Amino acid sequence: MLILLDVVTTAAILFIVSAGLLAIFGVLKIINFAHGAWLTVGAYCAVVAARLGLNPWAALPLAFAVGAALGTVAEWLIIRPLYRRPLDAILATWGLGIVIGQLITLAFGRDVQITPNLLGGTVALFGLDYSLYRLFAVLAAVLIGGSCAALLEGTRLGLKARAVIMNEALARALGIDTARVRLATFAIGAGLSALAGVLLTPLTSVDPNMGVAWLIGAFMLVMVAGGSFAALAVACLVFGAVQVLVSTFVSPILGSISVAVLAAVVLRISPRGFARA
Amino acid sequence: MLDETAPHAGTPPPLQLRDVTSGYGAAPVLHGVSLSVAPGEIVALLGKNGMGKTTLLKTALGILPLKGGTVLVGGTASAGLSPARLVALGVGYAPQEQPLFPDLTVRDNLRLALRSDRDLAAGLDHAASSFPFLRDRLRQRAGTLSGGEQKMLILARALMMRPRLLLVDEISEGLQPSVVARIAAILRAERAERGTAMLVVEQNLDFALGVADRWAVLKRGEIDDAGPSGPAMRGRILEHLSI
Amino acid sequence: MPDRSTATRPGLAPAVLAPVALALAAAALVWVAPEMLDTFSVNVLTRSLLYAALAVTVDLLWGFTGILTFGQAAFFGAGAYATAIVLTHLGSSPAWVLAALALSVLVPMALGALVGWLSFHHGSTPLYASVISLVFPIVVTQLVYSGGEWTGSSSGLVGYDTLPLDLPGFFRLAGIFAVLVALGAWVFVRSDAGKLLVAVRDNDARCSYLGISPTRVSALLTVALAGVAGLTGFLFAQASGVVAPENTGFLFGTELVIWVALGGRGTVLGPVLGAVAIDYAGATLSGDLPFLWQLILGSAFVVVIILLPDGLAGAIRRGWTRVNARRDAAAPAVVALPAAGAAAGGAEPLLVVTGLGKRYGSLSVLDGIDLAVRPGELVSLVGPNGAGKTTLMRCLSDGTEPYQGSVQVAGRNTRGMTPERIVALGLGRKFQVASVFDSLSVADCLRLARAARDRPSPLGAAATLRLPAASLDILRLTGLDTALVTPVRLLSHGQRQALELAMVVALEPKLILLDEPTAGLTKAERTTIGTILRRLTADLGCAAVLVEHDLDFVREISTRVVVLHGGRLVLDGTVAEVVDSDLVRAVYAGAAHA
Repeated sequence: MLILLDVVTTAAILFIVSAGLLAIFGVLKIINFAHGAWLTVGAYCAVVAARLGLNPWAALPLAFAVGAALGTVAEWLIIRPLYRRPLDAILATWGLGIVIGQLITLAFGRDVQITPNLLGGTVALFGLDYSLYRLFAVLAAVLIGGSCAALLEGTRLGLKARAVIMNEALARALGIDTARVRLATFAIGAGLSALAGVLLTPLTSVDPNMGVAWLIGAFMLVMVAGGSFAALAVACLVFGAVQVLVSTFVSPILGSISVAVLAAVVLRISPRGFARA
Repeated sequence: MLDETAPHAGTPPPLQLRDVTSGYGAAPVLHGVSLSVAPGEIVALLGKNGMGKTTLLKTALGILPLKGGTVLVGGTASAGLSPARLVALGVGYAPQEQPLFPDLTVRDNLRLALRSDRDLAAGLDHAASSFPFLRDRLRQRAGTLSGGEQKMLILARALMMRPRLLLVDEISEGLQPSVVARIAAILRAERAERGTAMLVVEQNLDFALGVADRWAVLKRGEIDDAGPSGPAMRGRILEHLSI
Repeated sequence: MPDRSTATRPGLAPAVLAPVALALAAAALVWVAPEMLDTFSVNVLTRSLLYAALAVTVDLLWGFTGILTFGQAAFFGAGAYATAIVLTHLGSSPAWVLAALALSVLVPMALGALVGWLSFHHGSTPLYASVISLVFPIVVTQLVYSGGEWTGSSSGLVGYDTLPLDLPGFFRLAGIFAVLVALGAWVFVRSDAGKLLVAVRDNDARCSYLGISPTRVSALLTVALAGVAGLTGFLFAQASGVVAPENTGFLFGTELVIWVALGGRGTVLGPVLGAVAIDYAGATLSGDLPFLWQLILGSAFVVVIILLPDGLAGAIRRGWTRVNARRDAAAPAVVALPAAGAAAGGAEPLLVVTGLGKRYGSLSVLDGIDLAVRPGELVSLVGPNGAGKTTLMRCLSDGTEPYQGSVQVAGRNTRGMTPERIVALGLGRKFQVASVFDSLSVADCLRLARAARDRPSPLGAAATLRLPAASLDILRLTGLDTALVTPVRLLSHGQRQALELAMVVALEPKLILLDEPTAGLTKAERTTIGTILRRLTADLGCAAVLVEHDLDFVREISTRVVVLHGGRLVLDGTVAEVVDSDLVRAVYAGAAHA
């Protein structure tokens, strides 16, 4: 039972961390290697909110706004010239991640920061005392996935984004301003990444390099998911299960690389990953 | 020759191409094409496959960059304007290649042609008045329509944009004669009601001569011949089109 | 006049001479440098020079071949760990040192073979190869962490016996090694075989259709450079006396890429100077300005990627060639190969298509196509847009394309075969948009077309270029024979089409597929292409299948015309039969319904 809960909550955390990266990759076909930096920025928004004496939950909207604003600037200055050079976009965003990491270091120092707990304590479930926050993560993942789906399926921006994904040439020919769709998508994806950073604070220590540790796992999941939130949810469950099982029964170190290895193998066998499954 | 047709007094022609060179990558497909469409005029662009007809439409809409010459849309030079800006200037497009989003519903395909969802109800009504079958198919995926229905959806979507200039690419391709006749009637009615100017790329000569006021034949990226519409022109044009 | 290009050149010498002279000078500098530098600098620069050698291997993969890799760090780390493990746990006698040397090369090469197999397969994307190169160092690092006593886990291995050299000695060893790696890379990329790397980067599809497997080239290069990286790791383990998990990691892999990017990808000197300068400056400055240095480096990296994709060395080189008119490399002398005997007419068909069908989802693009083409035939494939002509060409030349029915080329069923294997059966394919290598010269392109038959030299540029007479005819008729050293990107549209045709003909194919070879050509160019196609089929016994919109052209040159409409073969007959057919008139006037 504990394992099952661990699997579900691990999958939820993976989903939260990957959602912003997926939103950007799905529409723009660009891998935002500064994703780790946005997670860090989000976590430091929680630090700032605490210093300002705000309610810890206020860090969530703050992080989304800061992340989206930074995303807007980054899309305009760095991503826009590189849509036709996707490999270079990986590198430029990686460089951007270095820059953001160093700026945070200059502002806050390289020490670990303490953030207030969003939700403490445990709850009795199936005869176990389980971390309340990990259970909340499942709710958060469902909310994030649900709002992304609602945004994509239910709004005009979402419709335009889907049109750009399916057939960008036709979308342009119908007069859709694809540059604006891209800008909005990148801003929302970056906002989601920063939001995820806040949600990570109770689970991990906050320091200027915290994001990098999460980047590769998120990146592999997104490659396997291909661009669909549903496929991402499946991928998170499968890979979360593997990670928990390998960590529990074999070794935690191998557990941490199992996601990456499994993703590489899945992509070797089926280049489109879970998107068709 | 064609661009010397006098524009209606005061209004600039909806489309005017002067000495246009354009193409994909390094290879020019159009070599110095001049052509204009006057307000309320329907011009048929004819020619065999691979002669540059679709390239001309894509250049007019700013999808392909201009390599030389000028394109004026409603009097505004289109160089450097995105397709989004040109569509806002009143250009509607019914493309031939990959013309629909097959995985989106009919309703969403139509919705994408509008600036805002506020006009959706009125737009759908308008589309359904020309193409009644659409009313029952709004929730169906566009890819599941029959070939003829898809063609009508493409045209309905272009008309929903309420264009001042309509670019139509091979709309009659693969259609039953009765459907071709319906489409011809709808194009004529649209022109009569709203004075929409049209540039119609066609391989179906009878359809083209039936709707157009004038025709031009494109051959190897140049205007090879042109003239006014009429049954007498059929033989002359067929010379250009047949083997 | 096959030997119109003037000077007979003394073998390979000039291509190798200049770099060797420069390398000797660099080696001399490396030799005396420890005398003039302080201990700190000697120490740091020893490491920097080894990193420079590693950066060159990254550049060969990324800058020249287009494979963005973070994996060289892991091969380097594997080599270093192999060395340190042998020396720590097994012994440090000369025999064990030799064993460590061998293992430091062989283990990374074996890993390289695995990475190559994972990264490069028919249909894999450049992004996927980068993904693998990213996962790989992470896995290696984690394995090091979980290696317990054997790898020293997070503290690494230290205190093993190293080679009996002092600090300047290791500096010189590292320096000479870096010079040798750079020299080797320089000579190789300027050689005929080295052009393969750029060819794969520019246009892997064209490589396939020249019978060169881009996946094989990429995988072999990965294995070879994994060995070089491992050897670098051996030297690093010797010189530093310590190996740590960071030496294998993904972060180190990204640093290598940053050095190459800033120095200049696609040049040999750029990465060397980039690695040495940045690593040395970093070691010197990071004490005083720890975070600022990283900040400046990161910003510079972003700016260079966006604005100067070929780095500082690339920018300097571009400026240089703008000021100094490009000195023309000597053109190779073109030699005509003896013409192969004309195949007996009326022999077995070269192409047999039976019941070929292809669907995309519910859409049927091709349906029940039967077609046989014999030597000497020139078959034109006509039909309106969307008739399935290009799809048919693809099914004929790529057996990995899913389709129903069967395709036989020269008597062999090609289902499942990659294009390069079908090309080996005697097929040549010319694409609609000329598919050539933009970064190379005309002569390089032609030589690559011969690469499957005349093995190119990895050391220099051969003084002669052997081409079949028909290929030579194309060059002469289009004036390309006087433009052999011209970069392909400067050619006109018509010249590019002619070059691609000359490349395809240089394969000496038995069956040629051509997709709209005359699109966008002038009247004179069309006539030339028609003349050549007739000569190839009528005189040399090739078979040709031609997709063509220009029906005048079809009428002039075809021996047979096949009409495709709505994915079906509706007519197959002589030119006269097809031209007079009502059906074709109807298809082209738009009155027929599929």
